[in-house]
Amino acid sequence: MDKKGFEPKILAFCCNWCAYAGADLAGVSRMQYPPNIRIIRVMCSGRVEPELVVKALSLGTDGVLVLGCHIGDCHYISGNHRTVKRMAILERILGYLGIDPARVKLEWVSAAEGARFAQVVSDFTSKIKELGPIPLQELRP
Amino acid sequence: MSMIDNVQNLAREWLDSKEVDAIFGLKEQDGYIAPYLFTDVGELSCLVISNQYRLCYTCRPAKENILSLMLQTEPNAKIGVVVRGCEERALIELAKRGQVDLKRIKILGVACSKEDAEECRCEKPYPGNLVLGEKVEGVSGDENVNALLSKSLPERRAFWKHEFSKCIKCYGCRNVCPMCICKDCKMEQELYTETGWLPPGIPMFHFIRFYHISDRCIGCGECEKACPVDIPLLTIFKLLQKDVKDLFDYEAGMDVEQEEPLLTTLDETPMREEVMDVGV
Ligand code: SF4
Ligand code: SF4
Repeated sequence: MDKKGFEPKILAFCCNWCAYAGADLAGVSRMQYPPNIRIIRVMCSGRVEPELVVKALSLGTDGVLVLGCHIGDCHYISGNHRTVKRMAILERILGYLGIDPARVKLEWVSAAEGARFAQVVSDFTSKIKELGPIPLQELRP
Repeated sequence: MSMIDNVQNLAREWLDSKEVDAIFGLKEQDGYIAPYLFTDVGELSCLVISNQYRLCYTCRPAKENILSLMLQTEPNAKIGVVVRGCEERALIELAKRGQVDLKRIKILGVACSKEDAEECRCEKPYPGNLVLGEKVEGVSGDENVNALLSKSLPERRAFWKHEFSKCIKCYGCRNVCPMCICKDCKMEQELYTETGWLPPGIPMFHFIRFYHISDRCIGCGECEKACPVDIPLLTIFKLLQKDVKDLFDYEAGMDVEQEEPLLTTLDETPMREEVMDVGV
């Protein structure tokens, strides 16, 4: 696929309490952001096991965002602490396997940060456009 | 006197003085080696140390492994265990997860020889609780690790595609790992591992183990040795051991008091209570 006309598929895991509400706010405030994103709502960013991210990438998702509450604001107090640590390990493993770790990103978006949500999605989408389609298919024998 | 004589003598002393009720180690009989519980001093002449068979093997499955079965059937017994560096680290990590009770174990730690260390590419070929033998330096640096790091991302993908394509999904790497203790394994769940296909998902199948064992791998290398198609699994585990040290200042198998980093908050408060209730 040529990179120019490339429209990436991007998955965003949004936590129920902050990021999803942030996305909602961006929506009702009619903020513009790229339509490449598909949102999956989870109760907490700590629910996002790295296997889910790898599964999404294996199925042809070009990039995965994990969005949660800012540290200290987690509805479950320390759920997002897990996410930070897991994502760090996930990124390293992806790198060793030859997958650009920039294809996954953890960001904090509060329920009041609709504009920030739109910004994060726009930035990430342009980054993934730059990287091109996920080369994981070539890992399929 | 050779190393093994020293081990046998000390084991005899511990048994005679009733310091321990039994010694758990490897027994050689008719040229075969297997784990054995020595209760009779007369048999100690068959006690051996071998890098071909590790007590690590006997650490799983959870609660059904030889060591914990023995501790369950003999609730008051204290058991001496002959361990090498990797085996001691395995015991420490298992104790953290409630799999063995270190209070009922007396560790007879033995050092490995230079040759053994090289064969295993071991970075720390001696236990913290060294009772017998001389420490030798572990190997530093690893050819496979350096080779992987010198590759570009596309080269790494090609490399792993070649390697993982060989996988016959025998689960040997998982079965032999002293740290793979879960009863329900994600590597068997339909969500992550389609049945009826070989090779299993690349990189999904292997990623599960890389991630799950990342902060607890003790670097014994058993997975790589067990793999019938020689996939260099240890390469990634070695890198992850270093990452976990850099990121969280944590080394698996060193300190039984130190909580594993993926189960603590950012200020290192344990989240243990939540996990200990689930199915272990
Ligand atoms: S080296 Fe392999 S078998 Fe040994 S602890 Fe690490 S993952 Fe498990
Ligand atoms: S031991 Fe080797 S062939 Fe068997 S499942 Fe593990 S990686 Fe695949």
